[in-house]
Amino acid sequence: MTLWGIAWGYLWNRKFTTVLTILSVALAVALISSVLTLREETRKRFEEEGQAFDLVVGAKGSPLQLVLSSVYFMDNPTGNIPWEVYEQIKNDKEYVQSAYPIALGDNYQGFRIVGTDPALFEHKWISPITGEERHPFQIEKGRIFEKPFEAVLGSLVAGETGLKIGDTFISSHGFVRLPEVLGGHDHEQHPYVVVGIFKPSDSPFDRAIFTSIESVWDIHAHHEEESEKHSEEDEGDIRYQEWGKNPRSMVTAVLVQLQSPALRFQYREMIRESTVAMAATPVEEISKLFEQFLGTAKTVLLSIGYLVVVVSALSIMIGLYLAILQRRRDLAIMRALGASRVEIFGSVLIEAFWVTTLGIVVGYLIGGLVSKLIGMYLVQKYGLSVTAFTLTPEHITSFATVAVVGVLAGIIPAWQAYKRNIARDLAEL
Amino acid sequence: MIKVEDCFLKLGPKTSFYCEKFYAEPKSKVALWGPSGCGKSTLLNIISGLLRPDRGTVIVNGVDITKLSESQLDHFRGENIGFIFQTFNLLPPFSALQNVVIGMRFSSTVPSSIWNKTAKSLLERVGLGNKLSNKPSQLSVGEQQRVAIARAVANKQKIIVADEPTGSLDPKTANKVLELLLELSDEHGVTLLLVTHDKSIADRFPIIYNCSNLVKEEE
Repeated sequence: MTLWGIAWGYLWNRKFTTVLTILSVALAVALISSVLTLREETRKRFEEEGQAFDLVVGAKGSPLQLVLSSVYFMDNPTGNIPWEVYEQIKNDKEYVQSAYPIALGDNYQGFRIVGTDPALFEHKWISPITGEERHPFQIEKGRIFEKPFEAVLGSLVAGETGLKIGDTFISSHGFVRLPEVLGGHDHEQHPYVVVGIFKPSDSPFDRAIFTSIESVWDIHAHHEEESEKHSEEDEGDIRYQEWGKNPRSMVTAVLVQLQSPALRFQYREMIRESTVAMAATPVEEISKLFEQFLGTAKTVLLSIGYLVVVVSALSIMIGLYLAILQRRRDLAIMRALGASRVEIFGSVLIEAFWVTTLGIVVGYLIGGLVSKLIGMYLVQKYGLSVTAFTLTPEHITSFATVAVVGVLAGIIPAWQAYKRNIARDLAEL
Repeated sequence: MIKVEDCFLKLGPKTSFYCEKFYAEPKSKVALWGPSGCGKSTLLNIISGLLRPDRGTVIVNGVDITKLSESQLDHFRGENIGFIFQTFNLLPPFSALQNVVIGMRFSSTVPSSIWNKTAKSLLERVGLGNKLSNKPSQLSVGEQQRVAIARAVANKQKIIVADEPTGSLDPKTANKVLELLLELSDEHGVTLLLVTHDKSIADRFPIIYNCSNLVKEEE
């Protein structure tokens, strides 16, 4: 029977309070662990997807908004740019390996309809995380669109809408589905027919509907011609993409793969100087987003987590202190049996260690489950899956901090046990 | 051999303990007898190193324990003295077997490889072979005291101190426990010091040390 076994025996003897104390530590650790996991995993996943293209070129405005709208389909576009800009970029072979136009403007049940060139579906890149080749556009059923108003669905779109090959659907104007009373309206004259469904790619593309760029042009050309009231309603409304009087001369953004990532800065400047558009580097904008806004959120959440750790440490200390008072006779017996003061001190510290360690283990598991649940939401919302159970150096540092705080909380009760008078305790009880 | 000489301990503002001389031969059985509050338990605690006298000599197995440091005293207790208390003082979270093993764990006299075997054989000897896994709350008071006796002799200590070991037991159980204690003392060849206020129990010991005048009230 070791001191570890003796300490465990006493913890087990007061199961209820032990479990409560372990849970209080676990909740703190779960909060810290899930914040670290989700922040790190979402950052990694966003940056991985951000590596799909070296640059995004679009209307001048917020670079982050341009990236979010064109690469992650999360925000409204900054506007449209002339088709000539796309042509110029595409033909700039010295710098550009490939360029793909995208035209945004409509949705179906909240899923964005992306007008593009079928060449986009050949796009591949190397994941910086796994080092493997990423090729998100692989047909699972049907085929790629060949003519206007044929659509290929991302896997999540197919799953959530229930659309199948051969089904038709009516798109709605704007980027979110709005009721008519709020200005939402459908393009009933131009139904789409589903001709293909992509395999799941674990990317934002899973939440998009792809069609030819001509489809988006045709819808908005028709829209502009026939419905002045809509254009009046839509004017200045950020929920809608402005296509103007001649949609066929416009494109929302151009996704660019350069000859080398090293050219990103240089080519971005060239776009700024030589066109009416601006270029943004997805991976840079996402890094800024995580460092600035999400970095603050992380700090706040981690601070709350560590505050809970302090509260948990207090509960460990109070629990152990009361336990020491309750079993001062047992401690005196152990001393009478030959246990040294140091062994008594150690056995109490070991109890604090057990509680803290189990709290960390349980907290890590709870944190993983929380991350899993939030990860499921992220898949639904953004098409990005995250790994729920990760162990980064930041996790290990945090857990070590919690362990040290927990064991330190045991020092006062351990000292109380250390300095007890055995003869008096044996006589009193 | 135990020798206490000129031993003084201040117990309170007007109360003090004084033992001019106490002596016990190895393997002897001595009853420390006297009324409640006379100082017999104090003498036992001084001999076992639980209390330090303010002055005097306390030699146990050839060692003057008043000269030992706190940690040396802990070690000395573990190796030389087995305790039996009136209220048994088993450790509640642990089984009968574990209680005996824990007694050995804090002493270095028995190799850890035979802790379980030794504890099991001692518990069988005191008639608890079928209750090795029972916790103290699952044992009768007589059984608990038998576990305490097994624990006291487990470390092969040379001295067993028993403070009113039958005080919480009914007469029949008390008699059985006392018989067991005397038998085991003979079997293990230990010095047995037993504190009692009961003259009939003291009379069963070859040596009776009268503790009636150890504690004095100052005027």
